[in-house]
Amino acid sequence: MRVGQNPAKSIKRVVQPKKITVATITYIPHLKGYYSESLQVLKACLSSLWENTSLPFDLFVFDNGSCPEVKEFLLDAEEKGLIQYLLLSDKNIGKGGAWNIIFQGSQGEIIAYADSDVILYPGWLEHSIEILNTFPNAGMVTGRPLRSPEEYYSKTLEWAQSHDDISLENGNFIQWEIFREHVLSLGITEARAREWFESKLEWRVTYQGVSALIGAAHFQFVTKKNIIQEFLPFNMDRPMGQVRTLDEMINQAGYLRLTTCEPYVRHIGNKIDGTKDYELRRELSGKKQTGIRLLEIPIIKKTMLGIYDFIFKLYYEK
Amino acid sequence: MRSGQNPSKSGVPAYTPQRLGIALLVYIPFTEGYFKNSLDILRFQIESLYKNTGSQFDLLVFDNGSCPEVIQALCGYRDNGYIEWLVVSKNNLGKVGAWNWIFGALPNELICYADSDVLFRDGWLEDSLAILDAFPNIGMVSAQPTFHDVLDGNGTAHLALMEDHNFEFGKFHPDHKVVEEYCLGIGADDKLSARFFNMELPFITNISRNVNAVIGATHMQFVIPRSVAREMIPLPVSKGLHRAETTTLDRKIDELGYLHLSTKKNHVMHMGNVITEKLISEVNSFHGPKGGGPKTAGLVLSKKSTFFRVVSNLIKIPAVNQFFLRVYDFLYRALYADMQ
Repeated sequence: MRVGQNPAKSIKRVVQPKKITVATITYIPHLKGYYSESLQVLKACLSSLWENTSLPFDLFVFDNGSCPEVKEFLLDAEEKGLIQYLLLSDKNIGKGGAWNIIFQGSQGEIIAYADSDVILYPGWLEHSIEILNTFPNAGMVTGRPLRSPEEYYSKTLEWAQSHDDISLENGNFIQWEIFREHVLSLGITEARAREWFESKLEWRVTYQGVSALIGAAHFQFVTKKNIIQEFLPFNMDRPMGQVRTLDEMINQAGYLRLTTCEPYVRHIGNKIDGTKDYELRRELSGKKQTGIRLLEIPIIKKTMLGIYDFIFKLYYEK
Repeated sequence: MRSGQNPSKSGVPAYTPQRLGIALLVYIPFTEGYFKNSLDILRFQIESLYKNTGSQFDLLVFDNGSCPEVIQALCGYRDNGYIEWLVVSKNNLGKVGAWNWIFGALPNELICYADSDVLFRDGWLEDSLAILDAFPNIGMVSAQPTFHDVLDGNGTAHLALMEDHNFEFGKFHPDHKVVEEYCLGIGADDKLSARFFNMELPFITNISRNVNAVIGATHMQFVIPRSVAREMIPLPVSKGLHRAETTTLDRKIDELGYLHLSTKKNHVMHMGNVITEKLISEVNSFHGPKGGGPKTAGLVLSKKSTFFRVVSNLIKIPAVNQFFLRVYDFLYRALYADMQ
């Protein structure tokens, strides 16, 4: 039974959602191996967001089943008012499943998504929104110039080629250092990066005085809620590896996929400091020459990879 | 930089949501006064859900700006597998603001919403689903007969069925105990109670299926198809809990031709903020868990071998857990040491 009046009825005004929702997904099941520096990476990501975002926004963090240390950090940030919406999921529902909830649940008209291993620099949001609002039918804007496969931007190119009021240029618009930084962050070798860099050119479009490169990436992008909702729900039954579906769908629907001309975001991966990583590798290769050589025997490498995956699954399904 | 392959890409399956998602809205700003018993009442609610829900479900709890003790308690439920998704909002978005969020975000085909002081009884889901199956264009189904028509008699969606010979309309006097419980739940005074005791409730029957339902629903607790819920949002919101705002949901549902219905039996009870002997006795009488209980709810993962299950249990022992994590760390360092 109820005794007394519910005090919630006396709340005269509630906080209104901001026009922009910034969203990220975290998944750090433990702090070992691949994830040994992931909490530091997450802290760097969120710190850069809090420091370098000058437009008003609500932050929505979707935790996809991380370990207690990560949840504690996120709850502490929420308590301090740095995270407006924190969703703690008991199980990993996959990146697609988390996107379904984020893109439906976000209250902002504009949604800025970033993986939680991305550093954001001053101006990242303003420059992306300028492109999003200037180019008609812009569907996805990434805050860093990069190359993406043509099959994911073919409609953008067709659009630019079919309009006289669009300036379209084909050339080398990404500096080597900027290209290299991103490609190496994906675990690609320097030699392969150089090969890729020299093999292709970029497309640059200019409309109403605003320039952008053609292409975008799903690790970080800004979009409009009404556009992204057209593609929901995503049917992705694995935690990762199916997210390119989004790139395909946006392109097929004829929405533009663009990037800023300058780098305002940086993918850092699972290592906070490349130098440290290099030292670790040197240390290991010095101490464990025999072990490293043994690993070159396919059956041993396969067995060890099998055990490695088995232990990950143990913790994943815990 | 990225070193090694993200283990999440190794092909493990992601969780698939259940057909039913249950969302509870919690706002307990402190644990004194009006809210002194609120955490215990929430515990009764969660317990009743797990013991009396006839199928597996995903539980989402939306915390609308509660105090740290409550967040801590909710994290405990989440850690023990009772809560699938815990949403912690720094600010109170109001009940309607939380609905905007819940209706948009919940991935389940059917959404059950409840305030955080509702007790669920055996049969609540079965009877709600029977109504959902028996009537067309369902908007909301509550598992308790509705005494208070939030549309003030101006609802029109059900009128479309008056000409349909498959359906029959009527009125009935609800059971005395049902009315008594309702009056107690809302803290009705003698005058108001007398009105409810004398009240006849309108109902509708699907003749061929012999399923009947009271016309009207309550937003204390209801089941709404996700497709309908998505059509409703965004609902306008400016206040914490304000009738003029919460009824926008009902008006919109009715305007779009969707029905408000409720069960004849009181399968849910408004517990309010007071714990009575009767309530404790009822909670103690629950059997279950009926829908599989926490942790097992909706677990759609790869088929596990006996060996996997044994090792999964072993890693709950701290020393074994440490050992496995060290092996994992070693393998990671060895396998990816030469990666550039």
